[in-house]
Amino acid sequence: MSAVIPFHRVNVLTGLKAARVVEDATEYANLIGKAKRPLLVLGPLLLRSSTEGKLLLEYALDIARARNIPICATETLPGKVEELGAKPDSSYDAVEIVNALKDPAWKGVRKEGNHDLVIFFGIRSDLGNQSLSVLKHYAPHLKTMTLCKYYFPNASYSLPNFKKDEKWQAFLESLIDNLKKGV
Amino acid sequence: MAEVAEKRLSIKLQEIHKLIRAEIPWEPVGPTPMPEPPDLRSWDMRLMKTYAPWYAPFCDVCCLCTYGKCDLTGGKRGACGIDLSAQQGRIILLACLMGCSAHAAHGGHILEYLIEKHGPDKKIDLGPFIEIEAPNIRTVLGLKPETLGDLKVAIEYVYKEIAHLLDSTHTGQEGSYLDYESKALHASMLDHVGMEAADLAQIVGFNYPSSVADVPLVEMGWGAIDKTKPVVLVSGHNPATSTVVVDYLREHDLEDNVELCGICCTALETTRYSDRAKIVGPLSRQLFFMRAGIADVIMTDEQCIRTDTPQEASKVGTAVIACLDKAMYGLEDATDMDTEDIVRRMVENKEHFAILDSTKAAEVAVRVAMEIAPQRRKQWITTDEATELAKKCTNCGICEQVCPNLFSIGEGITEVAKGNFDLIKKQFNLCIGCGKCEQECPNHVPIFRIMQVGASMETWKARVGRGPVMDTEIRNVGAPITLGTIPGVIALVGCSNYPDIDDIADMVDEFARRKYIVVLTGCAAMVAGMKKDANGLTVYEKYPPDFDAGGVVNIGSCVSNAHISGAAIKIANIFAALPLRANYEVMADYVLNRVGACGVAWGAMSQKAASIGTGFNRLGVPVVLGPHSAKYRRLFLSRKEEDDWRVMDARKREIVDTGEPSPEHIAYVAETKEKAMVMIAKLCIRKNDTPQGRGIKLNHYVSLYKKYIAKGLPPDIQLFVRRDADIPLVYKKEIRAYLQEIGWQPKEPVGLPTLIGTYPSKVPLDAVIH
Repeated sequence: MSAVIPFHRVNVLTGLKAARVVEDATEYANLIGKAKRPLLVLGPLLLRSSTEGKLLLEYALDIARARNIPICATETLPGKVEELGAKPDSSYDAVEIVNALKDPAWKGVRKEGNHDLVIFFGIRSDLGNQSLSVLKHYAPHLKTMTLCKYYFPNASYSLPNFKKDEKWQAFLESLIDNLKKGV
Repeated sequence: MAEVAEKRLSIKLQEIHKLIRAEIPWEPVGPTPMPEPPDLRSWDMRLMKTYAPWYAPFCDVCCLCTYGKCDLTGGKRGACGIDLSAQQGRIILLACLMGCSAHAAHGGHILEYLIEKHGPDKKIDLGPFIEIEAPNIRTVLGLKPETLGDLKVAIEYVYKEIAHLLDSTHTGQEGSYLDYESKALHASMLDHVGMEAADLAQIVGFNYPSSVADVPLVEMGWGAIDKTKPVVLVSGHNPATSTVVVDYLREHDLEDNVELCGICCTALETTRYSDRAKIVGPLSRQLFFMRAGIADVIMTDEQCIRTDTPQEASKVGTAVIACLDKAMYGLEDATDMDTEDIVRRMVENKEHFAILDSTKAAEVAVRVAMEIAPQRRKQWITTDEATELAKKCTNCGICEQVCPNLFSIGEGITEVAKGNFDLIKKQFNLCIGCGKCEQECPNHVPIFRIMQVGASMETWKARVGRGPVMDTEIRNVGAPITLGTIPGVIALVGCSNYPDIDDIADMVDEFARRKYIVVLTGCAAMVAGMKKDANGLTVYEKYPPDFDAGGVVNIGSCVSNAHISGAAIKIANIFAALPLRANYEVMADYVLNRVGACGVAWGAMSQKAASIGTGFNRLGVPVVLGPHSAKYRRLFLSRKEEDDWRVMDARKREIVDTGEPSPEHIAYVAETKEKAMVMIAKLCIRKNDTPQGRGIKLNHYVSLYKKYIAKGLPPDIQLFVRRDADIPLVYKKEIRAYLQEIGWQPKEPVGLPTLIGTYPSKVPLDAVIH
C-alpha cells in the first residue's frame, strides 16, 4: 500500500491496492510505448490553460498524435478537439467509457479490440478516481494511468502530487518528447 | 406441507385485503398488494438486464463485522463469503434504507402529531382538482386512503418492510448483488410511499395549498431578513415545530416583531404554512448562516441538520432548541420543565435544550429570541475588516485539499487581502458549506466570516411548494407528454452539493424556455430562484407556475418528491386509464416506455437522495446526477450498442428488436451541466413518441448538442431516428445526409411498447392494453 495521500482528501484510499507513483517521464513513455492498444480518456478540465498559456488539451492531443493513440473526448470536449484539428474516436462520458472498458470482449473505440492501457487526463478528481475504481476492480485485463497534476490512488500508475504547475507541465513536455522519440 | 403453506399464504393475503379494504371496488385489486421483496423482483431483474449496476467501489474492503477487515480486491471474497459487487449492493441497500427510514419516520411522527391534533378520522381532501390523492399508496399498497388514520396503514407497512430489508444486510444473508439491488429498489419504492404519506398528512393537517397552481411567491436570501428584529431560524425537514411558531406569532400578534426564517426543507414547509416566513437558502448555506450569528434562536428538527449545531451556535451566542428526538445532541431534555425556567436558563446561562413538545418549544424560542436579540451584535463584516482578516492567509493550499468541491478558497481569500472581491464572490457559489477549509486552516483564518463579503445580500423570490400535480393538469398534458409533443418533464430534485449553485437556475431556464415541464423540490427548488436574469427576474417570476409546457413548478420539500412519481403514475392511470391498484409493474412499465420524464439530482448528497432517485428508477424514470454522485458507488447504465432493446408490441403481440436505447440509462453521472442538459434531453426520448413528438425531442437533443458540445450531430443520432418523419425540420438536410452516409435503414415505430411479455411476470399482456 502506498503512503501517498491524494491531494484532494476526498479521494483518500480506503484499502490495499494503490497506484504506483511514477515521476519519470521516460518510464511513463515506456509504459505507453509497450501498450498495444492504449486509449486516452480526456475530460473537461483540459479546457483550462497552463501557466504558459497553452490549452491543456493541446498537451493531450500532442500525446495522442505522438503515438496515434485513440481519444475518448468526454463531456464538452468533442467540439474543442475538432477545433484543434483532431477527431475524437469516441465521445462517451467517463462513466460510459469505463462501463465499456470493463468488458474484456469489447472491441474498443477503433473496433480493434479492447484497450490494454487507459490514460485518464482532465477529469475532475473525485469522478476520475471513482471511475478508475471501476477499472481497478472490474477490469483486470487492463492497466490505467493518469496524467493529471495529482495522485490518483485507484489508478495502476499515477503521477505524484505536483506542488508546482511548472514541474507538472515540464513532465508532460518531457513525456511528449519521449513519445515522439519513440522511447 | 404444501397445504399448510397455501393456507398460510391465504391468511396473509386475507390480512392484506382487510388492511386495504379490498372489498371496496374502486378498482380491481391488482397482482401485488402491499408487495414484499420477491413480488416485484422479476421487474427489477428485467430492468437490470438492460441497465446493469455499475459499481465504483469507495473502498477495497468490508469492515462491517469482526471477521474483517476483509480484502475484496482481485476477486477475493470476505470471511463470510461476500464478494465486492454484493458488498456494493449491500451498501447501496443500506443507504436506500437510511433514506427511506428518514422519510417514513418523518411521516410516522407527523402523522402521530396530526392525529393527536385532528383525530384519525380527519378526511384527506386535496381540493376540487385532485381525486387521485395518493397515487403511490394506491399503486403500491392497493389502498385508497381516506383519512389520516389510513395513512398510518401505509407507514406501518413501510416500517415492516424496512425491518425485513435491513435484516438482509446482516452478515451471512444475501449474497447476490442483483438481489441486493432489487431490495434497494424495493426500499426506494417504499420511500415514495413514506414520502407521500408524510406530505399528504402535512397538506391536510396544516392546510397547505392544494389544487392550486398560482401559489404565492415568498422572499428568499439573508438580505430579506431584518436582523434588527429577533430572528428565529428553523432548520431541517419536519414542520411540526415551525408551524406552531407561526401559530404562536399570530396568536400573540408578533408577526411584525419577530423574523421567522428557515434553512433546507423546513423553510419550504414553513412557507407553505405562512407566506410571511422567509427562506434563508439551501442546506449549503446552513453553516455559513449559523456562523453569521444572525439567528437568535435555532430550532432543529430532523435530517440534514448540522450535527454540531449547539457547538457552532454557542460560538456566536445563538440559542438552540432541539425539537425532535432524532437529534437531541446530548442536551438536557426540558420537555417537562417549567417554561419560565427554560427561558431564564437559556437567556442567563446561555444553555441549549431539547424540548420535544412543539407548543412549548415554539413559545420558548420566540421568548428567548425577543430577550436576547437586543443584546446581541449582528454585524455583517465590512470589506476593510475582511481585507485585514484575509492577510493571515498564506495560500498554503490546505483548504483546497480538504474541499469536497475541489476548489481553492485560499486563492479567493488571498485576493480579498489585496482588496479584490471578485473571485470570492464567484467562489461563494461553489461553496457547499461544509466548513472543512476553516477547520483545517493552519493560520486559523476565519474563512466563513471573510466569505460574507462574497455572499450576495440580494433577495430573491421563490414560489411556495404547491403539493400534488392536479388531475386536471394531468388530463391536459397526458397526451402531449406520451406522444412527445411536450418534449419532457424535468424534475430537478435533491440536495445542494452542486459543482456551482447557478447550475440549477441555468438548467431550469434552458428547459422551460424549450417548453419542457420543469418541476422542482427540496434544495433545488430554492436554488432555482437564487439567480436573476437581465430583467431582474427569477425563473419563478419568468415562467408560469403550471404543470404544462414551459411551466416551472415548485412541488415542495423532499417528501413532496412523491408527487412527482405520483404525477407519472397519474398519467398512466388518468390519461391512459390503466388501473393502478396494487399494479406497480404495469405503472412502471408504462412510465419507462411512454412517459418522457427525467429526474436531475445535480447536488445529491444524502442517503435520502439515493433512495428518492432509486425509487424513480424502479418506476422507470431515469435520473441524471452531478459529478459528486459517483461516490454513491452505483449507477444503472446500459451499453447502447450491445444491450437488449427488444420490447413487446402489445398491439401486434410480437417481440420487436427496436435497437433504440430509450431511455439509454436510468442512473447516470455527468461532470458538467452542459453535458447533463444534452443527456437530459436524450433521456426524455421514449419508444412511444409519435413522429411529430420524436421530431421535437430530437430537435432539442441536436440543438443542445450543437450549443454545448460540438458543431456536428450527436454521434448516436441514427439510433433515435426510426423513419424520415422523425427527423426535425431544422436539421432535415444535415441529418438525412449523415444517415445516408452511414447506411441507416428505417424501421417501424412500435405501436404499444412494453416490457411485459419479454420476461417472466405474473402480469398478463392484456393488462397493459388500454
